[in-house]
Amino acid sequence: MAVPQLLNDIINTLLSLAAPAALISLVLAGISLRREGGTTFLIGASFTKWMFWSVLFLTLTPLLSWFSSFGVGVPLPGRGIGTSWLNSFQADVSSFVNTFVISRLATTLAAYFVLRAILDTASGGHPLPSVIAAMFLLGAQATYTLMQGYNTGTQYATADTLDSLWNYIAGTLMPITAGLAVVGAIINFAMNKPAMRLASVALAMLSVSALWYLVVAMMS
Amino acid sequence: MSFQNGILNLTNWSANVILPTLAGLFIIIAIIQFSRGADYSRAMYGGFLCLMASGLLRALETFTGQRAWNNPDQYWIALVTLVDWLGNVILPLYAAVQVAAGAVDLMTDVRFHYASGWMRHFAAAGLCLLVSGFLRLGEFFVSQGKGGVT
Repeated sequence: MAVPQLLNDIINTLLSLAAPAALISLVLAGISLRREGGTTFLIGASFTKWMFWSVLFLTLTPLLSWFSSFGVGVPLPGRGIGTSWLNSFQADVSSFVNTFVISRLATTLAAYFVLRAILDTASGGHPLPSVIAAMFLLGAQATYTLMQGYNTGTQYATADTLDSLWNYIAGTLMPITAGLAVVGAIINFAMNKPAMRLASVALAMLSVSALWYLVVAMMS
Repeated sequence: MSFQNGILNLTNWSANVILPTLAGLFIIIAIIQFSRGADYSRAMYGGFLCLMASGLLRALETFTGQRAWNNPDQYWIALVTLVDWLGNVILPLYAAVQVAAGAVDLMTDVRFHYASGWMRHFAAAGLCLLVSGFLRLGEFFVSQGKGGVT
């Protein structure tokens, strides 16, 4: 029996809404990043959870191909959304997320985080966590584009994207943040605060991949 | 706008704009501390270090670049190189500074550190030049005692 057109359209609509859902997950991840520290995050807590959901939404279609290997056919409708009101609904939601949530709301949230950074400093805290969270929110669209580039479109797309993100953090972001650690170590030294920890962290940030291979070598 | 660019520019701004400015502040603090007879060395060295942030990062990059990026020994070799550099490059220079400070102290009775005297400066200079020797001595003692008490 042929699948009714309306059902196909609903499936297509939901799959099309996966991309806006991934973007919203990134915004929520940015907010969670500040809650969990800003310069660090907790494994298994909100930030990692929202990042995982973002990757999952982005790679939802390739992930569904696993069902075929289980022997369960998942015929994904390839054509566009035929039902006009569903097509309009999908376009409206996508437009709302892109133009309102990402372009305006995330930017405003980032501005509030910058304000929070100043207030954090005034209350004896550190401004860096809020500044990092603000940068993450401002870069949400670019991060989404980056993750799209990591999507291999295969059954393993979710794991491939997470692997590539790890490589990006370890190989690109960590060497840059090593500079921040050196700056922190110098300021701590001059202010008579512990500096050795940040100096060794800077060294570790420059050799994250090697530390991974060290752990792997220890396991064999 | 990307997160990577944000972090990169934040790092460059803090290391190349803010730290050189703070260097002046730390030197001012060092002078005021010196005038009050308080410990000024941290502020003074901090001021100099603020001007050397990029160089220090390049040094750390050189230390971690001794082995390939996927070599499990990379972090260890980087630490070894750091210790080697501190022990064989920085400490001999520091020894020279201590000898000069000790000589000035001896001649003029001006103390560069509120808790120091000329003898401490000369002893520190000698210790700076004896790091490897002390390490070898410790290793010798340990290797002599590895058989245990018989």
